[in-house]
Amino acid sequence: PEIIRDLDLPRHGLEILPLDGTFTPMPNGDHLWRVNDHARTQREIRRHSTLDAEAYDEYGKAMVEMARFVKPILDMTPPDPMSLDPRGLMKLAFLGKRFRALADLDRYNQVQLMTMSAVDFLDQWFETDVLKATMSASGIIGTFLGVRSPGTAYVLLHHYMGEIDGAFRSWGFARGGTGAISNAIAAAAKEAGVEIRTEAAVARITVANGEASGVVLTNGDELQASLVLSSVDPNLTFLKFMDAKDLPDDFVADVRRYKFRGSSGKVNLALDGLPNFTCMPGDGPHLRGAISISPSVDYMERAYDQAKYGEFSRRPYMDMVIPTLTDPSIAPPGKHIMSCFVQYAPYKLANGTWDEQREAFGDAVIDTIAEYAPNIRDLILHRQVLTPLDIERDFGLTEGNIFQGELSLEQLFFARPLPGWAQYKTPIRNLWMCGSATHPGGGIMGAPARNCVMKILGNK
Amino acid sequence: MSFDTVIIGAGVNGLVTAAFLARAGRKVLVLERGDRVGGCARTTELVPGFRCPTLAHVASIDPAIVRALDLTQHGLRIIRPDADVCAPTAGDRALVLWRDRARAAQEIRGFSASDAERYPRFLASFSRIAAVLRGVCESIPPSIDEPNAADLFGLLKTGRAFRGLGKADAYRMLRWMPMSVADLADEWFESEPLRSVIAAGGILGSFLGPRSSGSAALLLLLGAGEGQPLANGWFAAGGPGALADALAAAARRAGAEIRTLSDIASINVTGETATGVTLTTGEVISARTVISNADPKRTLLGLVGATHLGPEFVRRMQNLRSHGTLAKVNYAVDALPRFTSLRFRQASEQAAALSGRIRLASGVDTIERAFDAAKYGGFAEEPWIELTIPSITDPALAPPGRHVVSAYVQYAPYHLRGSNWDSERDRLGDVATQTIARYAPGFESSIVGREVVTPLDLERSYGLTGGHIFHGELALDQFFVTRPLLGWARYATPIENLFLCGSGTHPGTGLDGRSGALAARQALKAAARSKP
Repeated sequence: PEIIRDLDLPRHGLEILPLDGTFTPMPNGDHLWRVNDHARTQREIRRHSTLDAEAYDEYGKAMVEMARFVKPILDMTPPDPMSLDPRGLMKLAFLGKRFRALADLDRYNQVQLMTMSAVDFLDQWFETDVLKATMSASGIIGTFLGVRSPGTAYVLLHHYMGEIDGAFRSWGFARGGTGAISNAIAAAAKEAGVEIRTEAAVARITVANGEASGVVLTNGDELQASLVLSSVDPNLTFLKFMDAKDLPDDFVADVRRYKFRGSSGKVNLALDGLPNFTCMPGDGPHLRGAISISPSVDYMERAYDQAKYGEFSRRPYMDMVIPTLTDPSIAPPGKHIMSCFVQYAPYKLANGTWDEQREAFGDAVIDTIAEYAPNIRDLILHRQVLTPLDIERDFGLTEGNIFQGELSLEQLFFARPLPGWAQYKTPIRNLWMCGSATHPGGGIMGAPARNCVMKILGNK
Repeated sequence: MSFDTVIIGAGVNGLVTAAFLARAGRKVLVLERGDRVGGCARTTELVPGFRCPTLAHVASIDPAIVRALDLTQHGLRIIRPDADVCAPTAGDRALVLWRDRARAAQEIRGFSASDAERYPRFLASFSRIAAVLRGVCESIPPSIDEPNAADLFGLLKTGRAFRGLGKADAYRMLRWMPMSVADLADEWFESEPLRSVIAAGGILGSFLGPRSSGSAALLLLLGAGEGQPLANGWFAAGGPGALADALAAAARRAGAEIRTLSDIASINVTGETATGVTLTTGEVISARTVISNADPKRTLLGLVGATHLGPEFVRRMQNLRSHGTLAKVNYAVDALPRFTSLRFRQASEQAAALSGRIRLASGVDTIERAFDAAKYGGFAEEPWIELTIPSITDPALAPPGRHVVSAYVQYAPYHLRGSNWDSERDRLGDVATQTIARYAPGFESSIVGREVVTPLDLERSYGLTGGHIFHGELALDQFFVTRPLLGWARYATPIENLFLCGSGTHPGTGLDGRSGALAARQALKAAARSKP
């Protein structure tokens, strides 16, 4: 939200249509439907458990407190614990002081959030299985971890980050699709004097004497620059666009060790009508928010179990939206688009390749949806299946990791992307990193780049 | 009756606390509900003539405590087997990690030259990092609200030790702590037996699989004592019970009184202060200080009772994670198990190879699958198993030519879905036997006696809440300043004069006695402060 304000994106055509609620169909014909209207969500949760309805309020309040505590950490350049730089030490002292200033209960919650699994954490608050399952999903999106893996609780917080501004939830549709966000940012950049060239693939970064001096494009063009910022992941930046001999050996070894582990795929469907959910038939507002296939904690965990051994989940976790209901402009009248985020789809398959498994994966997704909305099969006009391999090929994300690297504890904060290199700098002078692979990582759009720029400008 | 200090439970940590306090001149009474001392460190006769470690099968008490309490004077005889770990495989070759590191490297070379080359470097790095952690494990966690000079000094010391590691190891330490042990093993090694032996060190007794984040921290913690990742600890001649006996002798020599068959009904609290204990017989014993070796939940929620504690404290205590996963199967056998993968070695070398810990090297994925079953409240057909055969180095434990085999069997989740341990106990024993027999054919027919101890038995017979051998999960959220709870990591409790000294407190690494020693230090300090 800060970036939206700073860059004045609404003026550049960005309109965020808030995503109203999350609808979780259940195999037993029941459902859980949380919406932005607090009172209605309360009533809905009470239908499952009165205790949970009360806890839900408490939980929301606690999470906002936690988000408030974490926010400045996300906005700072991580200190290097091994450097004697007094500014770094002051940052550590600042963190310690802030922690001590927390109320006892908030400290307790904070420590748990940073270390526990999403399910262990939620278990302490709630008893309704489907509620825990669907909430825990935000702890695993884009990671190769399960809802019971320690370290996933922390990511639950990211959901509340948008709320502390009081403005609106940061998760929403952009009118015209997510592409509209990029377009608005590009418009803002152009207005500020930036030149943007498309179809200009970089072949390598030119380095001389430990200093970056520009880039060479695949078409042979050479561009000179006094600063090079890379928003692609470390694998591409250092191993593809550069010669390993220009980098220190142990740095290269660390880059090779950096974990990507893409775990998700995407299935986009063009539909002839709306899916009809058995547990809540017909059209209705429940289709206008996110539809989450996360019926139980065990379901979520079993989906992960299969991925651990190199198979895609036969019954995956899915987060689906039908943007055409909110923004009919993107499809012909009466037709719909359904966009499904699907997890787990491990980049490394134990058997076969993704090119061989792509359609089987698409089928598993359709089979899963059909268990809740049997008419889906008859509606499909077209289906696009994006596997982690496709995501790697088409979008330059190594191993198809949507966050440019696993968001696991050992790759966060002063270890993101690599320990000792969390300050956007690289071993090459004038070459900086500003992508999702840097602190605070993916999912909070634009924050790494903003921190990086502040660092370069000397403001941090 | 009135004492300075009453200690509840004569487990290893309780006895260590008793010995240190008695040495400081306290009048100490230790109350034990069982018929003998030792808690999880005990040796019992399985069938006549066969004496087996009932629960823990290694005695890994801190050498500093051995020295401080003169345990060797009190009958402790330490046995260090030639092999740290033997990893039998389903194939023709076993990996034997001898205590002699050059010899171990040679064994590894048989599987992978690159692993053999990396192994010494891994050990060196591990031991430097472990030394920093050992410093942490040997100090009292600092107070967050009112850190005193000693706390700050301790933090400074840890900070300096950390920086003293140099960049490479310091960054390693930061990366390793939250990692999964499977990833750690993968980063260093390519041969499966070595990987699974290392991975096994990060899951012992925990509700973690080798792929769970934080399991590398457990490997580091359990390895901190000796600075090496494999098979810490040694055997005591006479089994772990002999260690308990030596500790009890040291405590008694210092003047402590130890009573067995004395079960506590409640800790007596007046106002917010502990005043003593009441036994199940009705006898009341008053004391200025009560120290509990029982786990935190049992002590506070059970013996003190929620009515004496604030609701928020009770909620957090209830949420302390303590779902045990480790079961124990003990065997009396009439012959040394013959492992297929050792068959090309001479008989004497076979025995030497089996003299330490034996970790069935089924592969990291098999361990992970065993964990998967536990997540859904079941146990796998191929559990992870660690064996010891203490009668190889200590023949007095069994009749000539015969042996006792002690097996850790994991994962056996405390909560079974749709069944209970009373009806599944024997099936777990059978699964363990079959698994061992897969590596050592004929094992099943050599059995002359068997005993299965499930997590439920650990709770019922030994008072471990949830059957958790560490008195509560040893994980990042329950370690150091948060063990057992944030704000209560300094052995004190919300009840004045009531302290904890068991594995549920920092460092919590089981039977090394460190929790007991640190608790004794804190109790003495508190008493010194309260004196007029």
